[in-house]
Amino acid sequence: MDERHEEAQDRLLGDIVAELRRPVPLDPSVDSRVLAAIRERGAGRRRWIAGTGAAALAAGIVLALVLGPWPSTAGGARQVQLRLAAPASHVAVVGDFNDWDPAATPLRPTSNPGIWTVELRLKPGRYHYSFLLDGRRWVRDPVQPPAAESDFGTPMSVLTVS
Amino acid sequence: MSTPRTLALRAVWLLAFAPGALAAQDHRLTERLDAATAEGVQRVVDSAHAEGLPTEPLVQKALEGKTMGATSGRIQSAVDALFGRLAEARAALGRDASETELTAGAGALRAGLDAGSLRQLHALRSDEPLTVPIAVLTDLVAEGVPPDQATRAVLDLARNGRSDAEFMALRKRVQTERRRGASADAGPVVRPAAPPAADPPGSP
Repeated sequence: MDERHEEAQDRLLGDIVAELRRPVPLDPSVDSRVLAAIRERGAGRRRWIAGTGAAALAAGIVLALVLGPWPSTAGGARQVQLRLAAPASHVAVVGDFNDWDPAATPLRPTSNPGIWTVELRLKPGRYHYSFLLDGRRWVRDPVQPPAAESDFGTPMSVLTVS
Repeated sequence: MSTPRTLALRAVWLLAFAPGALAAQDHRLTERLDAATAEGVQRVVDSAHAEGLPTEPLVQKALEGKTMGATSGRIQSAVDALFGRLAEARAALGRDASETELTAGAGALRAGLDAGSLRQLHALRSDEPLTVPIAVLTDLVAEGVPPDQATRAVLDLARNGRSDAEFMALRKRVQTERRRGASADAGPVVRPAAPPAADPPGSP
């Protein structure tokens, strides 16, 4: 991986961290209890997260970012942009918005090496999807929640469009 | 209340005796699956159609399995199970539930949440769409929040008339915390729930 690629990944990582750390106003009586529960149970999970993170890095998967949903269109569909940073020569997104067709929705490379993107128009709903790298490796979007219902053993994420 | 089994029996009866109960043959199944698998999945699709359940999630499940290289038996099993969960979700959410609500409900059940949570959510938020609250509930569990904690948090928001955006904000906060290294599977956390916020719906 060359220096430009690493710089691009660092920039993307910085953007994502900043977004994730942006405070969101919420009823404190609700989230304080949930967050307290999570903190109390953190120790074991931290080791898991570290291991998973290392594996992901070793696999060359950096991060994916879903921006959106963006403003709605006349038909009720919303535009959603998917972005993925991955060392691959071809990337496609496959999910229940494109009949699980690996050829239907390729991502296009951006000016930053290794960064791929695609825009989708999705009606409000809940969508399962995964990225397919070079036609053989499935990678879920680490930014969106993992799918709790993976019936076929493939890592997937879930996108909720409201 | 109808169980998935009784629903399936009713569907068989409808398919046998009710003209027009069959769904149109889905060309995606015949084009992508082998003939036997396509036929088996189509039967479930017909049953769902006869019961007024959404059929598209069943087709998508079959196509997902095909793309992932699953065997015919595994595809059929996954489609059958999804049919049962859709029926169970409708029993919990009511006959007026939308396709997206039923699909989200089926996903929640697949994630290990019980139908009682869906019923409670439906009772608390009967006049508003439930897709986002159900999705957030499922996502919290998928992120590692214990189901009882996640259910309590989401029901609290529903009880206080919170908007979809506030449900999504809760999910985002949990995701953020998880990425900071705190998470949720090291042991049971049972603490008394604080009383729900007393402020009126829509207040900040």
